[in-house]
Amino acid sequence: MTTYQFFTTAWTWNSVVLAATALGCVGYFVIFGQRGRPVYFIAALAIFLLSFISPVNALANGYLFSAHMVQHILLVLVVPALLLLSLPPSFSVRSPLTHPVIGWIAGVGAMWLWHAPALCNAAATSGTVSAIQTTSLLLMGSIFWWQVLAPREEQRLSPPAGIIYLFTACTACSVLGIILTFAPVSICPVYQHPVDRLGILSTIRGDWGLTSDRDQQIGGLLMWVPMCAIYASAILAQLARWHSSPQPTQSNA
Amino acid sequence: MNGTTTIAEFRDAVLDPAKRAHYRLAWLSTVDHKRIAVLYMLTALVFFVIAGVEALFMRLQLAIPNNHFLAPDTFNQLFTMHGTTMIFLVVMPVVFGLANYVLPLQIGARDMAFPRLNAFGFWCVPFGGILLHFSVLAGGAPAVGWFSYAPLSETPYSSSPGVDYWAVALFVLGIGSISFAINTIATVISLRGPGMTIRRLPLFTWINFVNAFIIIFALPVLNANLAMILVDRQLQGHFFLPIGGGSPVLWQHIFWAFGHPEVYIMALPAFAIVSEIIPVFSRKPIFGYEFVAASSVAIAVLSLGVWGHHMFTVGMGRPLDVFFAISSMLIAIPTGVKVLNWTATMIGGRIRFDVPMLFCIAFLIQFLVAGITGISHAVVPLDWQTKNSYFLVAHFHFVAVGAIVFAVIGGLQYWFPKMSGRMLSERLGKWTFWLMVIGFNMTFVIQHFLGLLGMPRRVYTYPDLPHWGWMNMVSTSGVFFMSAAALILVWNLATSFFRGKVAGDNPWDAWTLEWATTSPPPHENFVALPPIRSRRPLWDIANPDRPDPIVGENSTAVTLPNHNKIGILSFILSEAGFFAALILAYLYFYARPEAGPGPRELDVPRTLLFSVCLFASSFTFWRSEVALTKQRRGSILGWLALTILLGGIFLVGQGTEYWKLFQTGVDLSTNMFSTTFFTLTGFHGLHVLMGLIALLIFLWMAWEGDFVSSRFGSAFKSVGYFWHFVDVVWVFVLLTVYILPLIR
Repeated sequence: MTTYQFFTTAWTWNSVVLAATALGCVGYFVIFGQRGRPVYFIAALAIFLLSFISPVNALANGYLFSAHMVQHILLVLVVPALLLLSLPPSFSVRSPLTHPVIGWIAGVGAMWLWHAPALCNAAATSGTVSAIQTTSLLLMGSIFWWQVLAPREEQRLSPPAGIIYLFTACTACSVLGIILTFAPVSICPVYQHPVDRLGILSTIRGDWGLTSDRDQQIGGLLMWVPMCAIYASAILAQLARWHSSPQPTQSNA
Repeated sequence: MNGTTTIAEFRDAVLDPAKRAHYRLAWLSTVDHKRIAVLYMLTALVFFVIAGVEALFMRLQLAIPNNHFLAPDTFNQLFTMHGTTMIFLVVMPVVFGLANYVLPLQIGARDMAFPRLNAFGFWCVPFGGILLHFSVLAGGAPAVGWFSYAPLSETPYSSSPGVDYWAVALFVLGIGSISFAINTIATVISLRGPGMTIRRLPLFTWINFVNAFIIIFALPVLNANLAMILVDRQLQGHFFLPIGGGSPVLWQHIFWAFGHPEVYIMALPAFAIVSEIIPVFSRKPIFGYEFVAASSVAIAVLSLGVWGHHMFTVGMGRPLDVFFAISSMLIAIPTGVKVLNWTATMIGGRIRFDVPMLFCIAFLIQFLVAGITGISHAVVPLDWQTKNSYFLVAHFHFVAVGAIVFAVIGGLQYWFPKMSGRMLSERLGKWTFWLMVIGFNMTFVIQHFLGLLGMPRRVYTYPDLPHWGWMNMVSTSGVFFMSAAALILVWNLATSFFRGKVAGDNPWDAWTLEWATTSPPPHENFVALPPIRSRRPLWDIANPDRPDPIVGENSTAVTLPNHNKIGILSFILSEAGFFAALILAYLYFYARPEAGPGPRELDVPRTLLFSVCLFASSFTFWRSEVALTKQRRGSILGWLALTILLGGIFLVGQGTEYWKLFQTGVDLSTNMFSTTFFTLTGFHGLHVLMGLIALLIFLWMAWEGDFVSSRFGSAFKSVGYFWHFVDVVWVFVLLTVYILPLIR
């Protein structure tokens, strides 16, 4: 299969994903109506959908670790953040899961846990495990972002605390990224010798030049550099929030 | 002192500066931030002269082709010493000195948070400097470059002790830098005057505050690397020697993981100076305060993840090249934002072209050039062509001299009146400025072209190829202008100190708090602080009819965090970086199979048993803290003693493990596993030992009944944080070294 053929045919019309998307869409508008910010919600759904029906999903299913990483980052960092942004400003949750320590562990754990070799392998080969993974990533990502993006200001961390929260999370994920990048062994052995269901392997290894070593390196680098860029942007947003917090009305010292 | 002196009297006699002022050694024993700052800067000046002379000798050697003025090895030694000295003994001490002087004044503090730690940090500089230069007497200075690449820096290729002195000296200097950073963080967080909220911090203070975090993260990484090379050289380890399974590339990775942030550790203080001077001499507030403040944070975060662009020529592979190229280019954004802000501040201002401002304008132009050539090195194929040529030498000297040194001299001219009470001569200052501009550009502009013509760097001489000769001659000639500038600067500093025009409190009509007190400030800095409601308190006083808009909320009632807590947490952060580097190095080699002993030699059940003791000691320490809040002497002593006992058992356990391994013929030099294992667990053991010593001191103090004072409580908590941290590190070491092999 050539690259062109692959990108035109390898779209996965997964009925579960489509059903979940439709259900989410209906649910959102039934519950929140016009009160929420649907632009963010539609963006979240679009990215969610794209990461599962586009060829990225076909590649992540046992071919390329780096494609898996793209999916992973979208599901744990991008989609949950957009989902939280789409909530109406009055929305609030009372739960022990909104403790900052839990949030931090959820965000960092989502990265580390699913890259334990056994779990990573299982998720890449079994549909059930993959579904559990997807759900858990969305959930853990939401718990993580809640500290920073909760709809109500008083439920968020203060800007300086938010900066520490994001910076330490960024560091913890970078360490994993560094390990993945420089590890001489395969972290997710499934990707070393893929079962060539689509007949695309020779194109990947040949035309694209993605050996399994390079593939894992790119995966590690994706977790390291673009992910840190996301955290760094969030840190800057915290600084902006800090500097734009309200001015006092009275002018006494 | 007779036997009846109480502790309180003794404290007064030793610690009260007024009673000590007459001592001949008052300057040597000082803990006053202003005197320490001056000592920092004078030390930097001494080393500046030394390193400058080294540069002069190198340029003389390179003035003509095929020169034999210096022997190759001498040249390499000068080249190593020049780089190391300029970075660690000139730029870092001088920017620390400026921050040390100005930062507490700007926030309305009496002193730094930890005055004695401050003195310790300073004395690390002359100590480190002497260690480094002692190598000259002990068999030759290091001749391996300031980056000390392995395997050249390993025993088989550098057998004289030069590299050992180099490594130990940098280790000491690293500790001094970290202690300064801890002090800065604690000072800014805990010692701000009433009304000085974080959002109202002058940019000089804010940028130095951000810089302290880069130091906290970057310097420990260097120290871990130095520890490893010392293990290799002194204990026959294998970290960076390919022959024993080590990896020279790992040295480069860890070194540049420190080395690139180090560039910003030197550059951010320069940005801080410029951000202070340009508004004052443009008679306008800084344009886009928030952007300058936030872009400093962005630079700090990004700087930690771009080191790979120093290694494109190593052959890291395409994926790494691409990602590092992108992340390196990203840094141009916040830096560009800053340049824009400085320039926009000047637009429409009534610019006064006094000497500090002249240096800042030259800084802006030269830094722009440095930035553009810097970005060109993020382009991988271009980097391959220019990296090992004089183009790179020109680039980083534009950063180090054209930007940093220019900003620092501008800063000296700006704050010298505050420090001495007298102005520096404007006339001599202008001579220094123009000679610097001419000399600097003469020396380094042409080196760009030399590099593009193909002249390699790090060579002691070169063949007589077309154009190389005259270009090098031009470059060398420029050095004489710079030397003259330096001499005039020193002359200016010396004469103005005695005969300069009296400055008054605020000679530049500046707006930050350091200008609200006398020049020089009294020992306690301020008699009374003016009200602080904006970022320019002195402007508000001078212009009551049109004050600056109030920034943020007034939080005078808020109590600031305890400085002991902030200090120890910053220290723990730096230690975490040190251990992270060691653990990553362990993992790096763990994954590579090799012959000889491996993790299977370790006795996991026994280690788990001792680990439980260590973890339990965290619990017993907490019980002791609880007893302290209830002031029950017996319980405090009991739980504390138990903590020490449990910690002691852990150390004995680790000792037994070492002994058993020695018995079976396994020691640090056996193979890669033993090198990494003993280094990692050994450094952890050392930390446990340090914690135990601290706990023993507290046990003794509690025994003496000192636990009733509030000082004891806060110090006790701090030691507790350290002790818990040591336990947490062991969780990670245990998982990596003992548990990981069981899983796989």
